[in-house]
Amino acid sequence: MSAHRWNAFFLPVAVLAGPTAYATDYLTVAQAQEQLFPGAQFGEQTLKFSSDQRDRIKAAAGVRQRNEEMKVWRAEKNGKLQGWLMVDEVIGKHEFITYATAIGADGKVLGIEIMSYRETHGGQVREQAWRKQFVGKTVSDPFKLDQDIQNISGATLSCRNVMDGVKRLLVVQQMFLKA
Amino acid sequence: MRKHVFLAAGLLAAALPAVADENLFGYVRGSEVLPKGSGEFYQWVTQRNNKGTGHYRAVDTKTEVEYGVTDRFQVSAEVNGLAVKSQGLLINGYLPKDIDSNLRLQGFEVAAKYNFLSPAKDDFGLSAYTSFEYGRLDVHSGQKKRELEFEAQLQAQKYFLEGQLTWVGNIGLRAAHEKRKAIADLPEDFEWPTDPEMEISTKIGTGLSYRFAPGWYAGVEALFENEYETEVGQERWSVFGGPSLHYGGKQWWATLTVFRQLRGGGERYDGQPEKQLHLIERTRNELRLKVGYNF
Repeated sequence: MSAHRWNAFFLPVAVLAGPTAYATDYLTVAQAQEQLFPGAQFGEQTLKFSSDQRDRIKAAAGVRQRNEEMKVWRAEKNGKLQGWLMVDEVIGKHEFITYATAIGADGKVLGIEIMSYRETHGGQVREQAWRKQFVGKTVSDPFKLDQDIQNISGATLSCRNVMDGVKRLLVVQQMFLKA
Repeated sequence: MRKHVFLAAGLLAAALPAVADENLFGYVRGSEVLPKGSGEFYQWVTQRNNKGTGHYRAVDTKTEVEYGVTDRFQVSAEVNGLAVKSQGLLINGYLPKDIDSNLRLQGFEVAAKYNFLSPAKDDFGLSAYTSFEYGRLDVHSGQKKRELEFEAQLQAQKYFLEGQLTWVGNIGLRAAHEKRKAIADLPEDFEWPTDPEMEISTKIGTGLSYRFAPGWYAGVEALFENEYETEVGQERWSVFGGPSLHYGGKQWWATLTVFRQLRGGGERYDGQPEKQLHLIERTRNELRLKVGYNF
C-alpha cells in the first residue's frame, strides 16, 4: 500500500459522529433518596441562582456554579427536617458525572451516591470506601486530594471535581437552605 | 481507493462506540500518565504532503503500546512504518530520486515518562519524557539510512474551568546520529553524503483544547522546531499550527489534527516557490489521525 493509498485512514472524524451512548446510570433520583434518607418524605424545590449569587458561590467554594438552577429535595421524617438531597453534575474526563449529596440540617454531609459514571478509570468512586470519606464533612474542611480525600489514580480529575462539587453543595446549602 | 475508505470507515465505526483518555492533540502531549497496571494501545497515521514543486506525499505510521508501571511512571514501545511517494522534485543532498514505496518498516522506539505533578491534583501538571529510537529509512527521501535518536521532553499541562479547557506545553531536545547508505545511480554532480552526521533539534509546542460537548474537544496547537546539523549549522526551522478535533469515551478515543507550516527557514532548494517556508525536510501540510484504546 503506497503513500497515496493510505488516504483511506484519514477519514474525517465525522465518522465518529453520533457515537453510541455508553452511559451507565447506577441510580435514579428515587433510589438515591432511599439510599441517603431511608424512609423519609421528600419535597422538591428548585433553586434559581442570579449571576451575583453564582459569583458568591464561586468565591466561597472556589469553583464555578455552572448551572443557573438546581433541584433540591427537602427530606422530612414525621414532620421533622432530616436534611436536603441535592443532585448535581460535574465534569469528568469526557462525560458529566452525576452524583447526589445528602446534607443534614446541621450542615454536615450525610453521604454521597454516584448516580452515573462513564470514565475509563476510577470506577472506585462508586465504592463505599471512597464515598464514606465525605461523611461528616462541613464547608470548613480542607477538601484537598490526598489530604482529607483519597485520590484515585487515573481518575484524578473526576475525584477532584466530585470533591469540589460536594464542597460547592455545602456552600449552596449554607447560603440558601438554612433550617 | 474507495474500497479502503469503506474498510477504514467500517473499522472505525465498529470500533468507536465508546471511547477515553489523554492525547487531546496530535502533536503536543499532556503531562498525564496511565495508572499502575493499565495499558493503552495507539495507532497513529500521519500524512505529509506538498513541497511546493512536483508531487510529494509521505505517510508515517506508529503503532504503540503504553503501560503504567506505577501511578507516576509509564513505559512504551513503538513500531514505525513509512511510505513515500515523490515525483518531479530532486533536491541535491536530500531527495536523490523519484520514489513510490510501499509501507515499509522504518524503525523501533522505546520511551518512558515520569509524572512529577498532576494537573488535577496539584493545579499544574509536569512530566519528563524520554525516548530512544532506531530508524532504518530516511523519512524524507525514503532511502536507506541508519539513525539512532534520543529525545528528552518536559510536558506541562494546566486545567481551566474544572477541566473543560486544557492547556499543554512541551519543550524538548533531540539528538540523532545518522548514516546514509550509498546510492549507486545518482544524477550527475548530485551529493549524497554517506559520512556519519549528528543532528540536534529543539522543539517547543503548545496547545489549547476546549470540551464543547460531552466527549468532544476542539483545539488548536502549534509546534516550533529548530534543527542544527554537523555540516551546515542551522539546517532548518519551522512553525506549524492547526486545529485538532478529539473524541473520547470510556475505552476508545480518536484525534484528528490538520497541521500547516506557517513559517519556516534555514536551507531552501533551488527554485523553491515559497521562500518563507522550509520545504526540504518538511512539507507544507500534515494530517495526523490517532486512535487509542485503553485496556
